[in-house]
Amino acid sequence: MLYPLLWLLASSLKPENEIFGSLGLWPSTFNWSNYTGGWEALPVSFSIFYRNSTIVTVLSVLGNLFSCSFAAYAFARLEFTGKRLFFGLMMMTLMIPYHVVLIPQYVMFLKLGWVDTYLPLIVPRFLASDGFFIFLMVQFFRQIPRELDEAAQIDGCSAFKIYWAVILPLSLPALATSAIFSMIWVWEDFLAPLIYLNDIKNYTVPLALRLFIDQEGKSAFGQMFAMSVLSLVPVVIFFIAFQKLIVRGIATSGMK
Amino acid sequence: MAVSRRKFLTTTGGLALAAGLPLPALAQDRSIRHFWWGNPERDRRTFEVIEVFDKNHPGISVSGETIGWGDYWTKMATQTAGRNMADLVQMDYRFLFEYVRRGALQELDPFIGNGLDLSNFDKGPLQGGMVDGKLYALNIGSNSQVFVYNETIFEEAGVADTDVINWTWDQFADVCKTITEATGGKVKGSDDCSVVLEVCEVWIRQNGSSFFGPEGDVTVTPDIIADYWQFWRDLRDAGVLRSADKSLDANLPMSDVGIVAGDTAISNFWSNQIVGVQALMQDPVGAAMVPHKEGGDPGQFIKPSMFMSLTRDSEDPEAAIMYMNDWINNPEATKILGLERGIPANPDVRAALAPDFTPAEKVSVDYFNAIQDKVGPLPPPEPKGAGEVRDAFIRAATNVVLGDIAPQQAAEVFVDDAQAIIDRAR
Amino acid sequence: MKNTKARNASGYMFLAPWLIGFFLLAIGPILVSLYLSFTRYDMVGDPRWTGLDNYIYMFTRDRRFWKTLEVTFHYVVFAVPLRLIMALGVAMLLDKGLRTIGLYRAIFYLPSLLGASIAIAILWRQLFSIDGVVNQVLAVFGIQGIGWITNPSTSIYTLIVLAIWQFGAPMLIFLAGLRGIPKDLYEAADIDGTPRFRKFYAITLPMLAPVVFFNLVLQIIEAFKIFSPAFIISNGTGGPADSLLVYTVYLFNEAFKFFRMGYASALAWVLLVIIGLFTALAFATSKYWVHYENERD
Repeated sequence: MLYPLLWLLASSLKPENEIFGSLGLWPSTFNWSNYTGGWEALPVSFSIFYRNSTIVTVLSVLGNLFSCSFAAYAFARLEFTGKRLFFGLMMMTLMIPYHVVLIPQYVMFLKLGWVDTYLPLIVPRFLASDGFFIFLMVQFFRQIPRELDEAAQIDGCSAFKIYWAVILPLSLPALATSAIFSMIWVWEDFLAPLIYLNDIKNYTVPLALRLFIDQEGKSAFGQMFAMSVLSLVPVVIFFIAFQKLIVRGIATSGMK
Repeated sequence: MAVSRRKFLTTTGGLALAAGLPLPALAQDRSIRHFWWGNPERDRRTFEVIEVFDKNHPGISVSGETIGWGDYWTKMATQTAGRNMADLVQMDYRFLFEYVRRGALQELDPFIGNGLDLSNFDKGPLQGGMVDGKLYALNIGSNSQVFVYNETIFEEAGVADTDVINWTWDQFADVCKTITEATGGKVKGSDDCSVVLEVCEVWIRQNGSSFFGPEGDVTVTPDIIADYWQFWRDLRDAGVLRSADKSLDANLPMSDVGIVAGDTAISNFWSNQIVGVQALMQDPVGAAMVPHKEGGDPGQFIKPSMFMSLTRDSEDPEAAIMYMNDWINNPEATKILGLERGIPANPDVRAALAPDFTPAEKVSVDYFNAIQDKVGPLPPPEPKGAGEVRDAFIRAATNVVLGDIAPQQAAEVFVDDAQAIIDRAR
Repeated sequence: MKNTKARNASGYMFLAPWLIGFFLLAIGPILVSLYLSFTRYDMVGDPRWTGLDNYIYMFTRDRRFWKTLEVTFHYVVFAVPLRLIMALGVAMLLDKGLRTIGLYRAIFYLPSLLGASIAIAILWRQLFSIDGVVNQVLAVFGIQGIGWITNPSTSIYTLIVLAIWQFGAPMLIFLAGLRGIPKDLYEAADIDGTPRFRKFYAITLPMLAPVVFFNLVLQIIEAFKIFSPAFIISNGTGGPADSLLVYTVYLFNEAFKFFRMGYASALAWVLLVIIGLFTALAFATSKYWVHYENERD
């Protein structure tokens, strides 16, 4: 289960010519220079890449949580004309292979003047572009007893109040799960940054990791592995912090 | 809209000033973009050249854009479709014709002697960037096929005195056998090149044929390809090649190739990869030519390893050409670039670089000099669909290596398939 | 009447971000790709209308199209159920409430964090190569291994193993679902002295059904669309001998390697129909096994 991870860690400490061709995990010498050297190996320091990734990730996670929980609330709890149609369309956006909408989307963002900015990466997330989270939250919201909404409605709560004060607090596990996934996926996202970011100063961490490898020529595998290990650190911290929120749901007895 | 562009600029400029942000220097009103596929070493050198250029040409700023080979072409295709290509792009011989024929690149001829100084440029390498008699791509490094071998193993096996520049396929086979015996089978003689179209192409030319004819049709006969596959099959049956399991992928990362993984003593590469191979290995490496056919034609050729091209979307070709010209003629720039992208085509540049070569760089330059009079002409430009033909070749060869189909039969099917692919691409 | 209007108003208000995103950002590119599927488009020049040519070619003359369907179905059939079972099993183990649970969750999730990076590709190739760790372990049991990735008859299974190994996402969702089951249901069952397996069938499964359903649908969609692992493990080729040529790798290469965006778009729409059928099937059967808490519709 964990062997591959140990291998990754070991490789990040090995001298370049020892990574391949020897199967042992233990490096002959501990080569910390992959870490120190790797951080500054590219024309732009990894500090910049981390800053960029952080900006994109924080905003995207916030965007995802707000916009997707809005849409999910509408699909799970509210009745309105065209609900089924829109839900179907939302599911369709999940099914279409991304690669064929890539070019029309690129042309669109280019016309907006957004290429080489973070807007194509962030704005769609505030507009609930990822149906995965909507569908996920819909499934969880539908599990919450209706009696709670109805009771709140009788008390004169608005739809927004119910969403904010009843649904969200009761969906903590789902929200935490969504936060973890959006954090990880945005942090590791590669294709969209590749297409939309041009200037190396704007690159995100996964994009920078690709700069180490040259299939046809000279690569820096040791440094790539070292930086890959480091790139996992924020994700692991975030994961450990947020998984705590996946707690036992409330007891519903007494409400029925 | 109520906000005019000027008003918007002044407002934002005011804000920027208020926030203490640096404003773009007003003199830099011209900007160009340069896009290349790279690695940390190449990126470092290229950004240094950009710095030098920016210093020497106030008023023009260059934006450097880089990514690894695999992702480069995805991004390039997207930018091409969006009509947002960088002014200058790095080009590969394999893709040059695809892009030229689709109209994505600009002719360079109008700039020759008019911003672009090619007077001191070798004629051979210049040819490689021509399509239909017009120059579309400037060679920024040359290349040839090479069999890289492990010198330590060659010595231990007692084959170090083989004339690896002039050797024949028979001698190659003998060397493979000797090495496999000497190491008790631990290290095999060579990688199995059955799936490697680049080596097969050399074989085809040695037999007086060529893969594609001048009109772009498949002109090679199935017999020649079948012989090629048979040659490797005999060696495979003799047990002197890397295991079939590891010989089915023609796009292996450098780290997985036989010589680097320690499985074999000989692997095929392009000559600009020698330095990279050495960096991944502890034993010193040497460079051998692809073996010759006794009494046959020269099979190898010298091809451009990388080009720089001016794209259709460039809005300031004049500035772009200035940059391109510096790249090949300015001693300050050429010194920074060194041999990293291949052998430069300017003799003065080569002479200036010679004293600083590393051992691996010296191996590659010596190799390059040694093969000069043993190579044939550059093959005619590849037709549309050539990339797909290459994939079809790998698939056919895979089945041969696995023993699912006889070489002759596979070759006949493949040649038919290849022609069908070319026809569909037209 | 007034009631409907008010309900619509609040429904659309909450759906507004999605509606704006869908109509401004999503629908345009989707329709363009539909249009392109009826053209020949090399991405440099303008698209040229060719009617149904792409679709006709796909179904009548493109042998690799059938091959890629075969490979993809093979993957879906194995990867989806195995991954779900693995995820559910581990989620239930973790739900038992070990004290150090955060650490355990992190460990089980770690493989998924690696995603489809280059590091994982290199690693997987080493692990399953002829002298790799997998074969070394097999050798202990006296089994002579092969090059699992380089052999066309086994390579797809290395991809399936990777999918199972990276079960973190569905696991976490299962876990969240398990946590959402009200405690008092179990407490009541305990008082009645219900045996453990009965509790699983009577409480856990029905209560978890919406989440199982979500995971099932999502895993089917994602499995049909699998791209990165197959792409990086095969170095972008889908080889050896097309054995890793899953649908989207084929589609990607048609588009970005061979400049046939029109044809690739047609491929995409066929895939969309296939996935749509399977998803619709899942939704249709869900009536019989997914019941939402207190929902009367």
